Amino acid sequence: MSEQKKFYLTKDGLKKIKKEYKDLKSLRFDKIKEEVPEVLKSEDLNIEYISFQEDVSLLELRIAELENILKNIELIKPPPKNKQNIVNLGATVLAEINGEIDEFKIIGTLEADPSNKKISNESPIGQALLGKKIGDTVVIKTPIVNHSCKIKKIKYN
Amino acid sequence: MKSFKKFKINTKKLSPKEKVILKKLISAVKLITPFYLKQKNEKYPGANFYPKDATKEEIQKAAKKNSLILNPYTFVERDKKGKLIAIPYHIKFKNKLKPIVNLIKEAAKLSNDKNFTKYLQSRAKSLLNGDYEKSDILLLKKGPFKISFIIGPIEWYLDKLFAKKYAYQAWVGILDEEKTEEAKELLTIVLSGRRKVLPGSKKINVSKINPRVDKTVAFSGLISEFLISSMNLPRDNKIVKKYGSELTIFEPVLKLRFKKDYFPICQKILNKKLQKQYLPDFLYKGALRYTLFNEISYSLICYKDAEKRLGNFFYIINEFFANILGIKIWAILFLKGIISQKELEAILIFYLCRNLSLGKLAIKRPDIAFHYQTRAAISINFLLKEGAIKMKEYGKKRGIYSFNFTKVFICIDELSRLLEYYLALGSYEEVQEFINEYGSFYTFKKFLNF
Repeated sequence: MSEQKKFYLTKDGLKKIKKEYKDLKSLRFDKIKEEVPEVLKSEDLNIEYISFQEDVSLLELRIAELENILKNIELIKPPPKNKQNIVNLGATVLAEINGEIDEFKIIGTLEADPSNKKISNESPIGQALLGKKIGDTVVIKTPIVNHSCKIKKIKYN
Repeated sequence: MKSFKKFKINTKKLSPKEKVILKKLISAVKLITPFYLKQKNEKYPGANFYPKDATKEEIQKAAKKNSLILNPYTFVERDKKGKLIAIPYHIKFKNKLKPIVNLIKEAAKLSNDKNFTKYLQSRAKSLLNGDYEKSDILLLKKGPFKISFIIGPIEWYLDKLFAKKYAYQAWVGILDEEKTEEAKELLTIVLSGRRKVLPGSKKINVSKINPRVDKTVAFSGLISEFLISSMNLPRDNKIVKKYGSELTIFEPVLKLRFKKDYFPICQKILNKKLQKQYLPDFLYKGALRYTLFNEISYSLICYKDAEKRLGNFFYIINEFFANILGIKIWAILFLKGIISQKELEAILIFYLCRNLSLGKLAIKRPDIAFHYQTRAAISINFLLKEGAIKMKEYGKKRGIYSFNFTKVFICIDELSRLLEYYLALGSYEEVQEFINEYGSFYTFKKFLNF
């Protein structure tokens, strides 16, 4: 049996997922409570009915996704102080990558937001840096691009 | 090569007034074309900016006594005694520019956007008084506007003698809000990193970069003749330093070039299996991404004294480094998980196709687009030498028949180090040696027949 995928979330991220789940379930309930458009007994398609079905299917799909996430979450917590010199989920890393100094937070994929300096733990950089210490030079290896990355600082909120 | 071109664009998002404004500005763009043609002359390196019998040395000597001689906005002519004098464009063409100025002023009156009105009025004034700086600054401070409009002497490329004189050019387009927002978001990510400056170099920090993706409606001048798909303004580094820059992607032009030029080349260099993996729409996105960061990179790499040190080689190296740096930035975004490996590969494929397209031009017309062609030649020769690409000399599949993404990327990395060194600290002689080694068009003549 294959291992279920874990979803790493911060406290805020978990709150948002729970809220979305609650809101969508409520929306589904309201939609189904409303009068379902009748399927016309003719060869013509009832556009309203098809649209209703599509809306409900999309809702169901997203609700199922959220249920799966909520079943398999792991909360991101700062490590103990003596381990805060190691990159872990939730760490904000200052690094030099190929001549560029950059700072970013390593977060779960669901909360990744590169325009706000949050990158996924599953990205090539995320994967390469996890478990490394301040001062380490890491090679970020991918099938077509390899870059060296020196860790200059690590901090946790 | 057409000096004026119009594109069919959906204008339904414009109000009736805006449509009238657009019509007037299209007319203004069209009317500037003859002024560009008066400056153009492919038979002479100095085009029509300098007297045909004037040598470079004579012009340089005259410029020491009169700085207007090498001013970007003047014609150099001989007075009755044969002495070289400078005549500003706006004085030479004063009355003939008035119909264009009137059109712009009429458009300005119609606009409900006060900032756009001020901007148009300033652009109109600049055509008559030769002060182009004010309208550039207004654009950077108050833009981007829903309707993009640039007109005036902008393009230095016709002046192959000194690369100083600006030729008339114009465009008008409508902002594509969705794509512009995407571009801005990517730019935010790019600018979150800080590029290290090479020790001993003098880098200019650019304060602001405004990207915009336009649905271009019309353009005229060199950009029309060469179907240039993007532009970065202003040209004056002093203004760029203080106010930033605006870069414009002319999307309809890029789409046209992709369809007519780049995609057919992609089909030549990709085997059938790869063609199925990289479909046209996917490759087009690679083209758009490449173009966007190519332009952004110009604003990231201003080394203060590079032009002085490198002389006429500056434009080759500067443009080349912008290409390469753009790809490297995409590589960093790939490592951050923002684009996939396949999307990065599409950008690399486009990079190759673009260079081959310039190679084709180099065979047909080695006299034009010299800087771009030289850069393309260096790219291809470098990749060939390092074994990143392999080319066939004979047979149906003459041209690139295989390439290795990893090796292409290693070459890009190496080139970026070299080029940045040249811009930051390198000498004219070092660059000359580099161009002598890699800048030959022989590869194009040998391998390209498509």
